[in-house]
Amino acid sequence: MSAGRYDAIVIGAGANGLVAAHYLARAGKRVLVVEQHQALDPSADIGWVPPQVIRELQLGDTLRIEQPDPWLAIPLEAGQTLELSRDVATTAAAIRRVSPRDAERWPEFCARMHTLASVLERLYLAPPPDIESNSPGELLRIARLGLYVRRRGKQAVIDLARILPMSIAELLDDWFEHAALKGALGALGVWHLKQGPRSGGTAFNFLHHLVGSPSGVFRPARSNITQALSALGGGNPEMRRGSRATVLVKNGRATGVVLANGEEIAAPLVVSSAPPRDTLEPIAIELDPEFARAVRNIKSRAVVARGTLTGADTANLCVAPSLDYLERAYDDAKYGRDSAAPYVEVQRTNGRVEVHVQYVTAGGDALSRTVARLLNIQPSQLRLQTAPASLYHGELTLDQILFMRPVPGWSRYRTPIEGLYLCGSGTHPGGGIPGAAGRNAAREML
Amino acid sequence: MSLKTTPFHARTGPLSEGQAWRRWAGYVVASSYELSHDREYHAIRNSAALFDVSPLFKYLITGKDAARLLDHVVTRNVAKAKVGQVLYTPWCDNEGKQIDDGTISVLDERTFRMTAADPTLRWLSLNASGLDVKLEDVSERTAALSLQGPSARDILQLAAERDLAALKYFRLTSAKIRGIPVTISRTGYTGDLGFEVWVDAAQAVPLWDALIETGTPYGITPAGMLALDVARIEAGLLLIEVDYFSSRHALIESQKSSPLELGLGWTVATDKERYNGRDALEAERLRGPSWQFTGLTVDWDSLAKLYADVGLPPRLPTQAWRTSVPVYAGGRQVGYATSGGWSPLLKRYMALAHLESQSATPGTELRMEITVEHRRKQAAARVTPLPFFNPERKRA
Amino acid sequence: MKRYDVIVIGGGHNGLVTAAYLARAGKSVLVLERRERVGGAAVTEEIFPGFKFSMFSYVVSLLRPEIIRDLDLPRHGLHILPLESTVTPMENGDYLAAWADHDETRRELYRHSPRDAEAYDEYGHLMHFMAQAVQPILGMVPPDPTSFAPSDLRSLLKLGKHFRGLGGERLHALVKLMTMSSADFLDEWFETDVLKATKSASGIIGTFLGPRSPGTAYVLLHHYMGELDGVFRAWGFAKGGTGAVSESIASAARGFGAEVRCSAGVSKVLVKNGRAAGVVLENGDELAAGIVVSSLDPRRTFLQLLESKDLPDELVADIRRFKFRGSSGKVNIALDSLPVFTCMPDGAGGRLHRGAVSISPSLDYVERAYDDAKYGEFSRRPYMDIVFPSMIDPGMAPPGKHVMSVFVQYAPYHLNGGWSDAKREAFGDAVVNTLEGFAPGFKSKILHRQVLTPADIERITGLSEGNIFAGELALHQLFFLRPAPGWAKFATPVRGYYQAGSGTHPGGGIMGASGRHAAMRILKDGGGR
Repeated sequence: MSAGRYDAIVIGAGANGLVAAHYLARAGKRVLVVEQHQALDPSADIGWVPPQVIRELQLGDTLRIEQPDPWLAIPLEAGQTLELSRDVATTAAAIRRVSPRDAERWPEFCARMHTLASVLERLYLAPPPDIESNSPGELLRIARLGLYVRRRGKQAVIDLARILPMSIAELLDDWFEHAALKGALGALGVWHLKQGPRSGGTAFNFLHHLVGSPSGVFRPARSNITQALSALGGGNPEMRRGSRATVLVKNGRATGVVLANGEEIAAPLVVSSAPPRDTLEPIAIELDPEFARAVRNIKSRAVVARGTLTGADTANLCVAPSLDYLERAYDDAKYGRDSAAPYVEVQRTNGRVEVHVQYVTAGGDALSRTVARLLNIQPSQLRLQTAPASLYHGELTLDQILFMRPVPGWSRYRTPIEGLYLCGSGTHPGGGIPGAAGRNAAREML
Repeated sequence: MSLKTTPFHARTGPLSEGQAWRRWAGYVVASSYELSHDREYHAIRNSAALFDVSPLFKYLITGKDAARLLDHVVTRNVAKAKVGQVLYTPWCDNEGKQIDDGTISVLDERTFRMTAADPTLRWLSLNASGLDVKLEDVSERTAALSLQGPSARDILQLAAERDLAALKYFRLTSAKIRGIPVTISRTGYTGDLGFEVWVDAAQAVPLWDALIETGTPYGITPAGMLALDVARIEAGLLLIEVDYFSSRHALIESQKSSPLELGLGWTVATDKERYNGRDALEAERLRGPSWQFTGLTVDWDSLAKLYADVGLPPRLPTQAWRTSVPVYAGGRQVGYATSGGWSPLLKRYMALAHLESQSATPGTELRMEITVEHRRKQAAARVTPLPFFNPERKRA
Repeated sequence: MKRYDVIVIGGGHNGLVTAAYLARAGKSVLVLERRERVGGAAVTEEIFPGFKFSMFSYVVSLLRPEIIRDLDLPRHGLHILPLESTVTPMENGDYLAAWADHDETRRELYRHSPRDAEAYDEYGHLMHFMAQAVQPILGMVPPDPTSFAPSDLRSLLKLGKHFRGLGGERLHALVKLMTMSSADFLDEWFETDVLKATKSASGIIGTFLGPRSPGTAYVLLHHYMGELDGVFRAWGFAKGGTGAVSESIASAARGFGAEVRCSAGVSKVLVKNGRAAGVVLENGDELAAGIVVSSLDPRRTFLQLLESKDLPDELVADIRRFKFRGSSGKVNIALDSLPVFTCMPDGAGGRLHRGAVSISPSLDYVERAYDDAKYGEFSRRPYMDIVFPSMIDPGMAPPGKHVMSVFVQYAPYHLNGGWSDAKREAFGDAVVNTLEGFAPGFKSKILHRQVLTPADIERITGLSEGNIFAGELALHQLFFLRPAPGWAKFATPVRGYYQAGSGTHPGGGIMGASGRHAAMRILKDGGGR
């Protein structure tokens, strides 16, 4: 075993793994990042990048964040489209053509949702509040949070309590009447969830994906943060690509990792950005069986196929013509089938046209044909890949967020194995916010 | 519907003179066969008593990682045990609180039989994730008899047509009794010379008949749970749900006990890697457990005086009791007794008690609550090391 | 004109509880009931000659024991008989049974899955704890988290302390229960589909949700609530049907001096200078009182009995948004003889019919029943909870004959095209035909049947959209949000006008807690003097 070369090993070179690695390196640790894939994934990172990460890691020059305007086009009957723009008034004007009533409500809806998302934003830039703790510092933090919410106004308190457990369908039905508008907004509520828009908690998922978005934009940002982080020079962290790593444990402490070829690398600190279950299941024998059971119980079901579309000049487009459409797409998934009429979204990033298809568990040619039909293209133009599990390393349902993520009581990035930390999407604040978990975890370790 | 009966019921059923049955793990078993359990008790210490212990939960654990799984679960070192050995062991949760206790028989390097008082299949499978091991609940498939008492070996040798002198305490061997394949282990719940015989449920009745036939000249006596209860108190053996609560059933923290607090420190291995509760138990061992489980002997004169004060001769419990009784030191409650009764052999009133460690030193004079003619009194009681009764023949 | 201290609108069990407590405190109280009998949704009626039915609500589980004690209800005829078992017939001809005896249930579960038999005990253990943890919340007046009033802050702090006092494991379990779907929650414990199905079915009763919808796990707790307070195995029937519960409370109220007037519907609450002054009856009569209490649902309490000008716009909007969406129906059947279920032809020596029969053979079955409703149809093959009250209380049917109560879900209030006589019969047929599949020959034993759709429930009892809980028991309609933020403490913006129905905290079931809370609040406020 090559002893003592590294202070820390980070498993996984996604945004969170790299962010954690860079923070550790900046703190003077010698860091090795082990990534199972050889090639860099060219697809966009979806979600808001916290400005703290950009500033602290000096990503300003290399990071590109897409700001499409309009951010979404909704196909309507008779070849018409409804374009949703970054400017609230412009969007309201566009909506007015299909529903004056909805247009009227658009500005207030944008403002109310923005306020709620800002509460989550505050929660996401630190480890989740520890409601079990009796430490004065933690109690103060919780009290401050309560006060912060209370200062947003009485309406914010009521909205939070009422909206978080709600279904996105109920929320949108309260505000709007136009089916296609509700479908396009509702899609964000079920994004990466094996739930339909009528399921409770989808309103939370909606708000989660609004964090960091400007008021009036209801799609998460897209960026190249993983590439920008990979390009950060300096030789620390070191990179090792094309190797799959498993954690080594001795007497209840992490001692390093073992690679697929049997090579062992020692380090007193191991940080995994892989899904918690993948990290912890192989070392289950080292764990309290109740903890291992909680890890096994993480809901992380596959629902999405992703890929690219070539040879078509498509706008950012959403195929979810109504909430019922989404709900029926989900019904198929409930009984273990791919949606006969799935929710499809097309987004351009950096010259690539990326496709998101939900609800999918099997995928394959049949799915490509379905999606091609919906988009009016040839199946050969599509390259789709079905994710084997939740791409968020754990679904963002109300029972799997904050102090319940990744497993109840272990939300501070630690594990029962001394020296083993988690820092991926499976930890707070979860997927769709690249770098936040990595930064929070690194700060906990340091 | 009714409760399950054991594979021996065809024989035990007609023996019951008073239809005195009780529940054990969903089965009916005899409290006593005769109207009084006295003779059954004396058989344990005088000749040989035959108990139907089939309701015990029994699991077969096989495979490459079988020992590894068991070592992960229980406190004793299973990997170090030899084939043919039987281990008595508790098992704990991650906080070092006892879940249950039972035995592990090492049938071969990859095959273990585990007995438990509570259903344990789920706990084993929760612990087995990622291990190459097969878990089988053989509770219904396997019947078991316990033959306990000074004549037990003589009877069994005759029945099995082989010498059992070499079979040491907590060892097992396979044998045939009238052609019926059995496993014989030198174990029991009486603290006496004794054996347990494990057999396929289908062969249960012929096995019973063989033992009764062979044993009758030696005074073999079918015995029930009442007699067993007295013997196990004399032997200082724990009973779950009576002397301690499984940490998985305890309602509050204070209802849980660690093996160190239950006098089972000797079963907690210090020479193995991680197992459930290791860290907690090691820490507890270092600082010393705050409770001890020990014996109490009620002072005869003090007892007699309490009765004499109301004009009665001393009254003794005719059966072992299982209620919680406060124990005091100088007016302060320092513990509670959980089982107790009169030992017909030792002629003393004994009890098993949880005591705060500072009051648990052998010889410490305490007071135990006794209800005399509807009024609560206290009798003097002395801390007595367990077991109360420990005959040489048990291990010889 | 006689002036009362208090007028209670609605003679359902909550209204009667409020009246009884207030009368006990010395108030002059008048209860006004629109129908010809008291009880609301807890009524017993002889629908067919000789056959008596608990027409709507049919089991008593959560009736608060302090109410039984405070009002001495057994003296007024209340006797709750135990309902001991549940049998779930499966589509393959097998069954799953939960019996009263622990060993027997364990053995039955073991037959399906040895692991589940063990998990069942631990699950029960945890749920018992959770019920204990939730109980104090049911018993408290919800604090208003938007308020800075010291009493609210104190109450919030107390609540926070209570939760933190539970300790990690239980706190986490509580969060899971409050947020998960019953199917997901049960998946963490069990592998037997039919066990999960029949348990999760109890999580969807009265909701417009399916077993895979988040928010349904919480209702699983209700099964364990009754075991606290020393009321072991509290699931049961009231002797004489649930109407006997209402009658006993009415009798207690009268005993304390309250007046209970039936066939006296109220059309408006009189408001003078921003305070309640009395009521106007449907026949135009006016009655004066210092305090008016509505035990009707929130929609009727605020939007029907008051003018919206008497209320803040925000509250009007909140109540309009409050979800009712009745989702269940009831079929009451008079039987010539007991049906024989294929899965258990001998009925386990009568035990099958003395307990509940749950038609929830698989998770997918129940989920599909929900799918129908989601898109505006009644379930073609619905979830049903069946009891035979005459097996427990022989007085409910002529000797040798039986009554059968079938609770049916889903039957959406907002049916595509609306409910009609034909749709009602089609719904009844779906119920009977589904049951015929599990108990062949059942149809031929039916003497009479009464089919009640949510529209019928609304028409007869007045419960808006036929919601049996007077408003959905969804997470965002509970506690300080029930019925509306800021107005969850039984008062209303109209001084002297109070709410006491199931549409307030804690709501749901024949519980009486809302009515008791309201009475306490009124007394605390001075009670109209």
